[in-house]
Amino acid sequence: MIRGLQGDKDAYRELLGVLTPYLRGHFRRRLGPGDADAEDLVQETLLAIHLKRETYDRHQPFTPWAYGIARYKLLDHFRRTGARQTIPLDDAGDLFAVENPDEGAVRRDIAQLLGSLPPRQRALMRDVKLTGLSMQEAAQRGGVSVTAAKVSIHRSMRRLARKVGDEDR
Amino acid sequence: MKTADLIFALSSSASPARGAPVRRRLAAAAALGAVVAFVVLAGWLGVRPLTIAADTPSFWMKVGYTLCISLAGLELVGRLSRPDGRPHAGLIIIILIVAVMAVLAGVELARTPRVDVAEVWLGQSWSQCPFRILALGVPVYLAIVWVMRRLAPTRLGMAGAAAGTLAGAVGATVYGLYCQETTAAFVATWYTLGIAASAALGGLIGSRLLRW
Repeated sequence: MIRGLQGDKDAYRELLGVLTPYLRGHFRRRLGPGDADAEDLVQETLLAIHLKRETYDRHQPFTPWAYGIARYKLLDHFRRTGARQTIPLDDAGDLFAVENPDEGAVRRDIAQLLGSLPPRQRALMRDVKLTGLSMQEAAQRGGVSVTAAKVSIHRSMRRLARKVGDEDR
Repeated sequence: MKTADLIFALSSSASPARGAPVRRRLAAAAALGAVVAFVVLAGWLGVRPLTIAADTPSFWMKVGYTLCISLAGLELVGRLSRPDGRPHAGLIIIILIVAVMAVLAGVELARTPRVDVAEVWLGQSWSQCPFRILALGVPVYLAIVWVMRRLAPTRLGMAGAAAGTLAGAVGATVYGLYCQETTAAFVATWYTLGIAASAALGGLIGSRLLRW
């Protein structure tokens, strides 16, 4: 890390490369092996290590510093998804795994389906159904009333259901 | 983006980092906040002529007390601005400083005739003092938080409380330039209360403000 801070790109690359599997294991243990968020967190942590590298004190060991960032990213993730405290960490893996059976393919399908909606409805759907905001928060973000947001979500769901049905037939 | 690509991109942009001037940046922010607090004080309450004030031992007692806490607070903020920072050393120092001040105050009160205790302890301005310290700490707090957001605090509540302590102590130092109370008991109680309130508020707000 010290050589990386001095601008040695190869040493820095090697460090990040070595660190990655540890971070991946760290997040997978806490989120469950099937969770696509684990890889996102690995990347976010690498990015944070890069952006915050000036806060590393060269006289201190590197690992606690890096894990401090990883720990923060994990807490931040729970804060955003609202899973914090409601689920014991050990059980969280099962829950997440069930919700995301196959990350890549499902994500792509969802993105495609959402693409068929008008932008305003799409934004609301994403906020409520994917990001997990409450109806009120999503309505506020979209700049509409809660009732309007509910109607819009309802319409979107019917439209998507029809579309999926058409394709299956 | 594939993780391997990310690593490649990051390491390619790895320019030599500029040292780690964490503490210097925080000190500069605290100093800037102190200047703003001083301007606010001068416009709001006025400042005692320094030549008179600096002659009295009580002035130095106040300044010494709050400056010591400021320095310890700076140390604490510096530690908690790092992902691996542990607060224990800074905390112990602050507790020791407060304890010394409490002993001084206790000795002073013990020597005071009973009828004068309230006078020594409450002075003329006990009801305003903590609030004024809190108010003067605000610019310091904002400056510190502004710098901290660019660093990497990971225990946000604690980091916010540390920033609040530092802000309160600097605010109290500035307020000492105006305050005309002279007793150790007054300083130990009402100054400490103002700083503690600043720490508590700083912790509450900090856990939101400091997210990065």
